[in-house]
Amino acid sequence: MHASVEQPHGEQDVQPLLVVRDLQAYYRTSHAGVRRAIRAVDGVSFAVRRGEIYGLAGESSSGKTTLIKSIAGAIKPPLEIVGGSMEFAFLPGYGGLHRAPPAQVERIRWRHLSYIMQGSMNVLNPVRRIRCSFTDFAYPHIGGSRQQFEQQVVAHLSRVRLDPSVLSAFPHELSGGMRQRAALALATICRPGFIIADEPTTALDVVVQKEVLGMIRGIQRETGSSVLFVTHDMGVHAHITDRLAIMYAGRLVEEAATAEIFRNPLHPYTQNLIASLPRIGEDAPRAGLGGAPPNLADPPSGCRFHPRCPLAREICSREVPVMREAGAGHRVACFAVNGDDGA
Amino acid sequence: MVVFLRDLLRYRAEFRIGLVLVAVVLLLSVLASFSPYPPDSVYVVPPDLPPSLTYWFGTTSRGQDVFWQLSFAIRNTLLFGGTVALVSRLVALAVGLVSGYKGGWIDRALMSVNDTFIVIPLLPVLVLFYFVMRDRISWLMLALIMACFGWAYDARLIRSVVMSLRQREFTQTSLFSGMSTRQVLTDEHLPYVVPILFSTTMNNMVWSIGLEVTLAVLGFTDINIPTIGGMIYWANQHTAMVAGIWWWIAFPTIAVIMAFIGLFLLAVSVNAHIDPRSRLWNVGEAS
Amino acid sequence: MSGYAGYVGRRLAQFLLVVFIGINIAYVITHASPIDPVEQSISAVTSFGNTAPDAIEQMRRSLRELYGLGGTPVQQYLAFWKRILSADFGPSLSAFPTPVGTLIGRALPWTAGLLTVSTLIAWVLGNLLGGLAGYYRQSRGLKLMGVIAMGLHPIPYYILAMLLLILFGFIWPVLPISGGATMNLPQTLTPEFVWSVLQHAILPALSLILIGVGSWFLGMRSLVANVLAEDYVVYAELAGVRSWRILTSYVMRNALVPQVTGLAMSLGGIFNGAVITEKVFGYPGLGSLLVDAVYAGDYGLVLGVTTISILGVSVGVLAIDLLYPLLDPRVKVS
Ligand SMILES: Nc1ncnc2c1ncn2[C@@H]1O[C@H](COP(=O)(O)OP(=O)(O)O)[C@@H](O)[C@H]1O
Ligand code: SF4
Ligand SMILES: [Mg+2]
Repeated sequence: MHASVEQPHGEQDVQPLLVVRDLQAYYRTSHAGVRRAIRAVDGVSFAVRRGEIYGLAGESSSGKTTLIKSIAGAIKPPLEIVGGSMEFAFLPGYGGLHRAPPAQVERIRWRHLSYIMQGSMNVLNPVRRIRCSFTDFAYPHIGGSRQQFEQQVVAHLSRVRLDPSVLSAFPHELSGGMRQRAALALATICRPGFIIADEPTTALDVVVQKEVLGMIRGIQRETGSSVLFVTHDMGVHAHITDRLAIMYAGRLVEEAATAEIFRNPLHPYTQNLIASLPRIGEDAPRAGLGGAPPNLADPPSGCRFHPRCPLAREICSREVPVMREAGAGHRVACFAVNGDDGA
Repeated sequence: MVVFLRDLLRYRAEFRIGLVLVAVVLLLSVLASFSPYPPDSVYVVPPDLPPSLTYWFGTTSRGQDVFWQLSFAIRNTLLFGGTVALVSRLVALAVGLVSGYKGGWIDRALMSVNDTFIVIPLLPVLVLFYFVMRDRISWLMLALIMACFGWAYDARLIRSVVMSLRQREFTQTSLFSGMSTRQVLTDEHLPYVVPILFSTTMNNMVWSIGLEVTLAVLGFTDINIPTIGGMIYWANQHTAMVAGIWWWIAFPTIAVIMAFIGLFLLAVSVNAHIDPRSRLWNVGEAS
Repeated sequence: MSGYAGYVGRRLAQFLLVVFIGINIAYVITHASPIDPVEQSISAVTSFGNTAPDAIEQMRRSLRELYGLGGTPVQQYLAFWKRILSADFGPSLSAFPTPVGTLIGRALPWTAGLLTVSTLIAWVLGNLLGGLAGYYRQSRGLKLMGVIAMGLHPIPYYILAMLLLILFGFIWPVLPISGGATMNLPQTLTPEFVWSVLQHAILPALSLILIGVGSWFLGMRSLVANVLAEDYVVYAELAGVRSWRILTSYVMRNALVPQVTGLAMSLGGIFNGAVITEKVFGYPGLGSLLVDAVYAGDYGLVLGVTTISILGVSVGVLAIDLLYPLLDPRVKVS
């Protein structure tokens, strides 16, 4: 009855690495006696296959980071998982890191699953040398002698084109780009099967950004891992992701192969998103959407996009559209695309 | 502001306790106006009587009623702390605002002087001051000189609040949308500065009253004006502890500790309330 | 390395500024006051008994000369600095003819020892417990400790010292309540003497520690609460770094940085507390010396202790400042 999770189509029959089902994650705050729930992720379902880079796009505050945090098990008050499940192939049967026993979680962290936080420039302890971070994070997983470990770290650093001397540096002695690459190396040193990256290239200048993207690609190819890649920047998605999901106000609205999304966007929001991308040879800024992004503490009824949607019809404010197959590997949640019976 | 106070009352136990303590102390000080005896007359009641229904807190060896003496003392002590806090607030606010808004070399110069005033050990300086003034020292003089030293720590605090406000988004947008600088300061920034001002005032009073008590106990103030420290000074002069006249020392001590803890709790709870991170902490604890 | 040199230069400049302003305040107080300090001293000394008029006149002349109260204001000012820089405060009036410098030299080790030990204990203990209380927020015992700290912290030194005195002097007399060591013991490094010094230090130190520990505890607890929200802590937790490591090297280590600055900033206040504590417990340090000098009207001694206090505290602050880069590598660049 629930939104269908896309089943692999012919070309790939193996079980997906991660299956997210109907996930709901709210921020529950109570200040001055007023209880509020910010419904930042509200009924999201998708699957990440082995060896792919799965992209997640959406404007700022659409809930991308919240979704990522939930999957990565970075759940601290006021964030709460209200419903749904997140099933990893390497941690079956628990429905999410937050439900698995700590020993299990410890076992898979960094070995199988690693996470590049938003603002990853700030993940390095400011008062310790970079070497200590590598030791703290990875040595318990890798083991061996200290020299072997150090050699391995140095080799890995060269993949992100960092000199071994950064190991003896403090974070503030490195540039922002170097810090970000160090964070990337730190997240991938154990060659995890699944990497979750939240805006890893935002705040970098274009040249460094290209470099870092190339490195993520390289590491992913080399280790055959899957990547869940989040950014609001559609240009970056075009550059690196295999498949792409579009998020709007806490829900997925469309999902397809990245090229397909750019070539043939179906959801009105996605269409607008693609159409408003700047193109070479055009100076005039394109007309954006009217209206403001919704308040997630009190989101619009039915389709959350309906107050801003040019195609909105009567049913849109009443019922929630579900993700439906609208072509090979192309899912959309929209009544205008799927027909009014789509609920 | 009203909402702010209401929230404090409703959700911060520290604030409620602090308010009650301070209210009790204030009430006691207001009672001074109804005292049947003038504050400085001695031998108006039989000396050395323990607490009883007639003399609630007993009487001193100098023939004073401890209850009424205490109400004068706490009034003067609070007045003293209030004066120091008021005057030092003016300096702290001026230095903090100028330093925070101007930045640059003005900030560096002001903060150098500021840090100097933080570091200098004040007690020896005050003792030296008493030494040269002796009997001519008055409580106002002492209050003013303490105010001259008591602004520095809070000026630094105000400066850091101002600096973080300056970088906030709304400062930029407000300036863009045509608000005058003065409007931004009064409409946008004042609501953040006022609670800080309040909590530093409470802390400053704790500090100056503590110092005054200390000086008075040593006899380094105008000992003829009854203050908490002055009461303990006279009690020590009459070796009240050894003579078993414990009520002479116990009641002023209890009163001043109540005042201290009350003021401190008010400061702490306001601070915690305006710090969004500790607010989040409360949410976390509640769930 | 040049970054560190720049930092040291700035701290030295600040040190000199503190000493300069501090000494000037002392000068202004003594010289701009409407009351002649020499007359003050004389009236204080003579109030104890009958002194012959010509002896008073002689005393007045020598005092004027001694404290540089003759000549033009500029000459007076320079003479004042000369005295301070050569640490020559003349003979003490109350312990004539012992020089003020000797008296201060005798008292200084007591104060320095008491202050260093009690401050270190309070700082380490407060930060350790406060750090734990911030990290393990649910612990009952640590919460209770927070309540106690909130109650202890605002109590002034004098009141707390007096309470301890009453408790251990009258109610449960197990500890010596006065002096620095047992009177008739020779002041050499014998086990008896050391033991006696330690015993006598317990109460003064305890009162300093009890007050100090509360403020470090509360400060550290709220700092830790803030550091816990920092990305590098959240990230280390996610990566499954051992929780002991996170607590020590990530949380405490970062929260300690502002606490070191805090220690430097509150050294003056801690010294104030020591003055009181010493007086209450009759401890033979600078505090007792200062208070007794006031009672005896010994101008040179009061001035000497005041300037030495300013100098001593400034040196302490400088020492902490110079150690600070060990804890925070960032100062070398900024
Ligand atoms: N700690 C938090 N407490 C309350 N609300 C939050 C918190 N973090 C994020 N939010 C809210 O959740 C929504 C989604 O935020 P986020 O997941 O960070 O979006 P994105 O990463 O897409 O920019 C926003 O409305 C944001 O204001
Ligand atoms: S469901 Fe309705 S409102 Fe939502 S995008 Fe489609 S047409 Fe627009
Ligand atoms: Mg985000």
